[in-house]
Amino acid sequence: MIQFKKVSKSFGTIKALEEVSFEVGKGEFVYITGPSGAGKTTLLKLILREYQPDSGEIVLEGVDITKLSDEQIPEYRQKIGVVFQDFKVLPERTVRENVEVSLAVIGVAQEAWSARVGQVLKLVGLAERADLFPNQLSGGEIQRVSLARALVVNPKIILADEPTGNLDWETADSMMELFEKINKEGKTIIMATHNKVIVDKFKKRVIKLKGGKNVGKEKVHELEKEPKKEENEKGEGKMKVKVEEV
Amino acid sequence: MNIHFKTAFDYIKRAPFQALSAISVLTLTFFVSTMVAVLAYSSGNLLKYFETRPQVIAFLKNEVTPQDVSALQNKLTADERVKEVRYVSKEEALNIYKEATSDNPLLSELVSPSIFPASLEFSLANLSYAEDIIAQVKKESIVDQVGFTASLGGESTLQDVVSRLKTITLYVRIGGMVLVGMLGAVSFLVLIVIIGMRMATRKGEIEILDLIGATPKFIRSPIVIEALIYSFAGVLLGWAISFLFWLYVTPNIVAYFGEIPVLPKGTWDFLILLVIILGAELLIGSLLALLGSMLAVSRAKRTR
Repeated sequence: MIQFKKVSKSFGTIKALEEVSFEVGKGEFVYITGPSGAGKTTLLKLILREYQPDSGEIVLEGVDITKLSDEQIPEYRQKIGVVFQDFKVLPERTVRENVEVSLAVIGVAQEAWSARVGQVLKLVGLAERADLFPNQLSGGEIQRVSLARALVVNPKIILADEPTGNLDWETADSMMELFEKINKEGKTIIMATHNKVIVDKFKKRVIKLKGGKNVGKEKVHELEKEPKKEENEKGEGKMKVKVEEV
Repeated sequence: MNIHFKTAFDYIKRAPFQALSAISVLTLTFFVSTMVAVLAYSSGNLLKYFETRPQVIAFLKNEVTPQDVSALQNKLTADERVKEVRYVSKEEALNIYKEATSDNPLLSELVSPSIFPASLEFSLANLSYAEDIIAQVKKESIVDQVGFTASLGGESTLQDVVSRLKTITLYVRIGGMVLVGMLGAVSFLVLIVIIGMRMATRKGEIEILDLIGATPKFIRSPIVIEALIYSFAGVLLGWAISFLFWLYVTPNIVAYFGEIPVLPKGTWDFLILLVIILGAELLIGSLLALLGSMLAVSRAKRTR
């Protein structure tokens, strides 16, 4: 469904990703793991076309998205659901309105909103919170709003950037169960996380990024241990593909 | 309600004082615009009235035939120096006399149409042509005498009146345009500042909308609608205040100017004039709002 072909991205002299290659099949649930600064978010932002790579190809369903024009990007993004670590919900809109905005963006007729929003809020367990504002919700509930907003447009792929990063263990667990449920319904999910417990508990394929730019494409579900201090000191920004098979 | 309208109204509700300041400035601009438009119309009418008064009257001999009169009328009409040629028959001349002496009916009872000569009245494109034209008309065989009204009355001749009116009309138009232009520019700036502030406070929301695939048009729509709401509110309020003012003063103005049609005498005609002004102002208001919001949006994009 999605292919990274030798994708590199730098910010000035900092190489965030270097020749990253991997593939994610339709309906797969994949973790992008690695320590902070590994390039997980950069990778997701490249898929979302928030960033343009310096080189390489990113192919989604046969289309090289690096070649999309600025005018084509909104339409492309409408096919992707995104769940952000910092939620990115609209604070002055109710739960229902936050979800409705996504439908308005993709141009769904207003008459169809109620049923679709009701359905997705029920799925994420927020049906009874529909008329509350984000500041009246807990962190887990706000993250569910973010997920509901991503799901309501029936996206081909869901990108989740550290969706459990700001949640307590219990809430993170329930969020992950929700992601699993959605994945079982056939949605492709790419989730960036550095949460070892989550990765160990909900076993999925893992693509590892190390030291910022490191890609594995084999099935793994263990996070690499933190790099040794000397390794970090000698590393000088070099990155290697680290693939572990379990 | 459409999501863009709802968003626009929400912004207005969240910052009512910004909305109030934008609407106040626009109201003032369009109040002054309406006043200036009506004044320009009135001064134009006043000028036209005096400009088209007959300045030269060629009194015709009694024995002239309609063919002769028609020939001279055509000749004068074809002359570029001459404007508004009008034939006044003996009967019409009597009626004019009767109207002029209506306060003393005895005077009109004693006269018959045969006493008054028929005449051809006309005005001149420029009063400097008067001498030549009068000399030329005097030579016509069917013309008995020629009267030149513009030379009667010393300093307060028709030429003086027209010349002064032209100056006043020019001042009203230029002064009005400058005033309206300045107020328009201030309104435009206020709109840009307020929309710019709105863009700044919405920065996070715009970023989120952008990430979930909103098109630039989708993001822009509530901003443009908000600017249009300010403009339309300003136009309607400014026009309505001006309308009430004119409604109040029109009877006095019409009575003062008498037969000079400075304002349309019929209520319906006056309403049509004001509705035309309102239409033009709505158009200008829309352009102002569209340009202002587009400029603010493009500035916000550049600074992102």
